[in-house]
Amino acid sequence: MADSQFALPSPPFDSISKVQYSPTNPTQLLVSSWDTNVKLYDVGDDASGGRRSEQKCKFDHRAAVLTCCFSDAEHGFSGGLDTAVRYLDFSSEKSIVIGAHSDAISSMVYAQELNALISASWDRTLRLFDPRAATPQQASHETPDRIYHTDLVKNTLVVSMASRLFHIYDIRNMQEPMQRRESSLKYMTRSLACMVNGEGYAAASVEGRIGVEYFDPSPEAQEKKYAFKCHRQTIDGVDHVWPVNALAFHPTYNTFASAGSDGTVSVWDHKIKKRLRQYPKFNNPVSSIAFNCDGTKLAIATCYTWDEGEQGARGERERPQIWIKPVGPEVKPKDWQE
Amino acid sequence: MAKKKNKQIIRPWCWYCEREFEDEKVLMQHQKAKHFKCNMCPRRLNTAGGLAVHIQQVHKLEPENLPRIENALPGRDGYEVEIFGMEGIPAPDVADYKRRKEIELGLAAGSISQPPAKRPKTENRPMSEDELKAALDAHKALMGAANENSTSSAPDQAAGGVYNAPPQAYAVPPTPSPGMSLPPPAGPPGAPPFFPPLGLVPGQPPFPPFPGMPGFPPGPPPGFAVPPGFPPPPGMMPPGSVPHPGLLPPGAPTPLGMPGLPGAPARPPLPPPPTFVPQQGSSVSPPIPPIISGSSPSNGPLATPPPPSLSVTPAPPSTAEPSSHPTLPDPSLHQTNPPFKKPTELKYQDANFSPEELRAYSHKYYYRPSEQVAVSNEESRGKKRARAEDFL
Repeated sequence: MADSQFALPSPPFDSISKVQYSPTNPTQLLVSSWDTNVKLYDVGDDASGGRRSEQKCKFDHRAAVLTCCFSDAEHGFSGGLDTAVRYLDFSSEKSIVIGAHSDAISSMVYAQELNALISASWDRTLRLFDPRAATPQQASHETPDRIYHTDLVKNTLVVSMASRLFHIYDIRNMQEPMQRRESSLKYMTRSLACMVNGEGYAAASVEGRIGVEYFDPSPEAQEKKYAFKCHRQTIDGVDHVWPVNALAFHPTYNTFASAGSDGTVSVWDHKIKKRLRQYPKFNNPVSSIAFNCDGTKLAIATCYTWDEGEQGARGERERPQIWIKPVGPEVKPKDWQE
Repeated sequence: MAKKKNKQIIRPWCWYCEREFEDEKVLMQHQKAKHFKCNMCPRRLNTAGGLAVHIQQVHKLEPENLPRIENALPGRDGYEVEIFGMEGIPAPDVADYKRRKEIELGLAAGSISQPPAKRPKTENRPMSEDELKAALDAHKALMGAANENSTSSAPDQAAGGVYNAPPQAYAVPPTPSPGMSLPPPAGPPGAPPFFPPLGLVPGQPPFPPFPGMPGFPPGPPPGFAVPPGFPPPPGMMPPGSVPHPGLLPPGAPTPLGMPGLPGAPARPPLPPPPTFVPQQGSSVSPPIPPIISGSSPSNGPLATPPPPSLSVTPAPPSTAEPSSHPTLPDPSLHQTNPPFKKPTELKYQDANFSPEELRAYSHKYYYRPSEQVAVSNEESRGKKRARAEDFL
């Protein structure tokens, strides 16, 4: 399997903040980067000699881009340090600023149900945008702390914030969060992803640990939540613990992959609490991962993730890369019934 | 007879860690416990090969991803050699071990073993990146110390005495670069504008001119909000002090050129510790080795050269980068990382700001919110973001 992995051509020049596959087209990959660009790639089958991958279009921004997402096959959104919410048109390769936050935009999800973009920012607000409306910004909701990540499954939006806070919203009523939670992990939340079946979510911290949680507030459901250690290594009796930078659920099997600053990507079956596979280590930390919509490929962004600050950026490093790894039965739960 | 004696001298020893044992049984127990133990489960295997197969099959790790053999000497932590007690040790290593034992025991060469002594395997291998780095750092530290002796004096040490790092660790003064004069209260001296100021569009519809902008509290300029409990380094302006315009640019270019000079004649001793004097003039800047000053214009205050101690074990960003730091919007939510029960090296230690937030405040990426994109019409592609270098 390792041989069929390949790197996308013309990767970003600086760290990759997010890779995101189209929800409908298994070959479209949107990538945002600290090099101030968002790029759309058409992902082929380079390794097996099939169709070559290529960069389809590129959108320049005024500052580093932290997040991006698709709305439909022809459009997407992006946001980052310049605080503007941009609506991207892939066919004309033009972007329109449809609004702004008052601090950097850290995360975005597109809510198909509402036909709206939900953008989240370090300015401690969630804002809803409809790119087609005369005044695109539809609403703004305050949160107690800076928002780091958001993820949406069906009508449930999970928002993770600094200070280890979580809010869970029903997007049909964003006035008040359905639930307010504190992280079950003791360290800063580093990544978040919702289960595809809508039962819960996984959240990981900077301290090599992943928590699996369930939405259902009943004690029986809450009893099932758990956390486990990962992305660590013991060297000379000292535990080296890396942040878990990204989580992604498989669209059909509901297993999930985790990616860490240790350069590894692991696949987990959270039902049986087992690791299904750990892929060979990359030479750089993994900043973001994404499964495509048919679950046949995993995009893996490797680059420096600022864990060591300015210092770490100065050393010799491999350049940022986006790896496409075709995934096989290793992501399937052992007891899977077709 | 002689042979028997040899056997008594050379006791069973472990190839992985070169420890000696009473007999081979104990040696095997040792190897099982120390070297062939799976670090993912309690299972102990008999050989390295067994361990490799176990890890691949039970823990689903791919062959290229196997952890190194634990507790092994450098160069002996691989799976290529199949060791079982004293069996399987490569002949050169046996010969080498015997030779060293002879020296240790003060025996004549060859009294234990006949084969000519070879150099240990480990010395043949090229230095690893870490070793090279360590060597370079040791060298740098040596050079840095020499430099320090020649240029800086005791009072200087006292002023920056909080730090153990040599003064040049913070050597680059955060003065605006030559030819640039900023309106003092608005522009943090260390963060020159990346873009020509556009100003806010008047009456920008639904978005207020960023009132709660966490980056711009009334107090210290954001670029210099120092992490709490971390006093400003000598080369830095104390938070809260408003630089006097007159003090600003004229002196700035000079420190870049002058510092490496031995003796540094222009520099009077710094005033006593607790009062941190705003340092804009050349007269008070700590010594800067010429090489470093060359890189400073593009990177500004953060371009501090890695102090020798920091480059080996990276310090948490909060201490490594005292200059630019975001501020907590709600101090009541301040977090502290709980302590670890076991010796642990946490790779990211800031409990209050994500790596992205710190990165956003670093010089290269810092975006001045006042130059907000006007919320308006189409923005054509190809509009390149101005780079810091363009303004320096």
